[in-house]
Amino acid sequence: MKTLTMLLMVMVFLGRVPAANAVVTGAIFGPGSESFPIAVVPLKNAGGDADGSLGARFARVLSRDLDLSGYFRLLDPKTFIEDPQTSGTTAAEIDFVGWATLGAQALVKGTVNAAGDTVTVEVRLFDVPGRHDVPAASRRFTGSRSDLGRMANKTADGILEFLTGERGPFDSAIVFVSTRGGRLKEVYRFTFDTDDPVKVSDERSLVVTPRWRNDSRAVLFTSYREHIPRLFQLDLATRQATRLVGGPGQVLDGAWSPDGSKLLVTRDEGGNSDIYLFDSGGQMIRRLTDHWAIDVSPVWAPDGRRLAFCSARTGSPQIYIMNVDGSGLTRVSHTGSYNTSPAWSPKGDRIAYTTRASGGFQIVVGGVDGSGEQTITSMGSNENPSWAPDGRYLVFSSTRAGQHHLFLSDREGKSQKQLTRGSADDTSPAWSPRLE
Amino acid sequence: MRGASRKWRVALALVLIVPLAGACKKKSGRPGEGGAGAAGLGEEGLGGSSLERSKRGLGPEEGGILGDVHFAYDSYELDGSARDVLARNVDWLRQNSRAKVELEGHCDSRGTIEYNLALGAKRAKSVKDYLSSQGIAADRVSTISYGKELPLCQEESEPCWARNRRVHSVVLGQ
Repeated sequence: MKTLTMLLMVMVFLGRVPAANAVVTGAIFGPGSESFPIAVVPLKNAGGDADGSLGARFARVLSRDLDLSGYFRLLDPKTFIEDPQTSGTTAAEIDFVGWATLGAQALVKGTVNAAGDTVTVEVRLFDVPGRHDVPAASRRFTGSRSDLGRMANKTADGILEFLTGERGPFDSAIVFVSTRGGRLKEVYRFTFDTDDPVKVSDERSLVVTPRWRNDSRAVLFTSYREHIPRLFQLDLATRQATRLVGGPGQVLDGAWSPDGSKLLVTRDEGGNSDIYLFDSGGQMIRRLTDHWAIDVSPVWAPDGRRLAFCSARTGSPQIYIMNVDGSGLTRVSHTGSYNTSPAWSPKGDRIAYTTRASGGFQIVVGGVDGSGEQTITSMGSNENPSWAPDGRYLVFSSTRAGQHHLFLSDREGKSQKQLTRGSADDTSPAWSPRLE
Repeated sequence: MRGASRKWRVALALVLIVPLAGACKKKSGRPGEGGAGAAGLGEEGLGGSSLERSKRGLGPEEGGILGDVHFAYDSYELDGSARDVLARNVDWLRQNSRAKVELEGHCDSRGTIEYNLALGAKRAKSVKDYLSSQGIAADRVSTISYGKELPLCQEESEPCWARNRRVHSVVLGQ
């Protein structure tokens, strides 16, 4: 226990002091370092998983999560020295010397038991040099077979919490717009336990800008199903979409407040888009902007008292923040002539947005006061950032691999990973709050 | 939506006969030439909103009875050539005084989705204001923005971007 804990404490400390940039195990520990060697062993069958498929799936999902985090180097399962199904899963039984020889600093082993639809998983993180398990990052879950992937995501989140002091973001979901169903656009839902996003809307039309409700059970989006674009809410359990904000005018986008009680809505009346505050039942409370120029893309601050939005009132689109009572308008972006689609970090301290730079579009992350702006992408065209619930990662669309796909990045751009693939266009991602 | 679709199909019969393959190229048909008697296409090849056409697998239409109006990047100002196109469109709308038109604002692929929706709305409004200034009654003209959602072409090149930055006029019946 001591060895790994001390090593990790050093890493956590260093990870929080960027200027230190000290070297641990040959690299800087942080997203993008991919420095921490970890072995994830398929879960051992403790009954009901004779073919090992549940245990293998758990390890596959957990490995992918850890890889996406950018902190780890996943050891190749082909090199593993212990047979997952015959070797033990307790510290007393594990060949720590053998794992250390492979280069593993940490090891994940456990068991799965399936009876009917009920699955029980016990999973432990082991400190290889210290030859101990790490109870703080070990878990026991009971649920249905369909919960197995979430159990792996929660395990990854717990390992990240132990290593970095901050819970991981993987027990969550991302909704986005895709053409993968054909020529038109629908809302799809991605979770970190599957490869194939699931279509959740049935608009058979154009949809734009899905956004989560705070309870992660409903999604707001703009649909052209009634010809003129309107705002709809989609109940993810029933898959029923109901109109929330209709005419007059076109509704371009909307966003639920952090407590779910209000909406920020962009409405275009007669060729002029402005931002309005609505209640969650779709009744207008007040108009927040009244300017002849474009105002669009309102998003909430996590405190529910401020919003960020895009306005072209100075002649080019820029990012602004203001109070929800309409006061305190402040410009955030000062560089470049095209800054759009803001996203306010759930931690409250940063705003991400899209900027036009040398002909392409890139993601910028900066302070709410516009300080410390950093462009975190450089390849392809990158648009529509959305923050992970931990405020550490973002998802956005990028054309760096051809079509628009979703990519995940840490907020400094050091670790960038492709989330979706294929020949369709995946755009407008929105990362959910943590699932309940 | 279905009712509107039928209206558009009525308009099909009035449209110049243009080969389907030409639907993605500039058309020579000028406003005023698409009189009655050009019926006979009978197919769902022409007319209809860009979204309805896309649902049918046809893709948005370029030009039509009324010419498309083009714009500079991130702009909704009408330049000289835009006014030339609009002058011809106004003539046709005066001669076909019962025709209604829906102005679709479109954008190129460069920029984010919601901003382009707002920009497309501005472009449609610019055209509507111009028609209004020429005496075309406001109740004959509706607007909608598709932003960058329904492009004519997909290439990342100036010629393609220029084609996509447009207000397309859909004649809703006469």
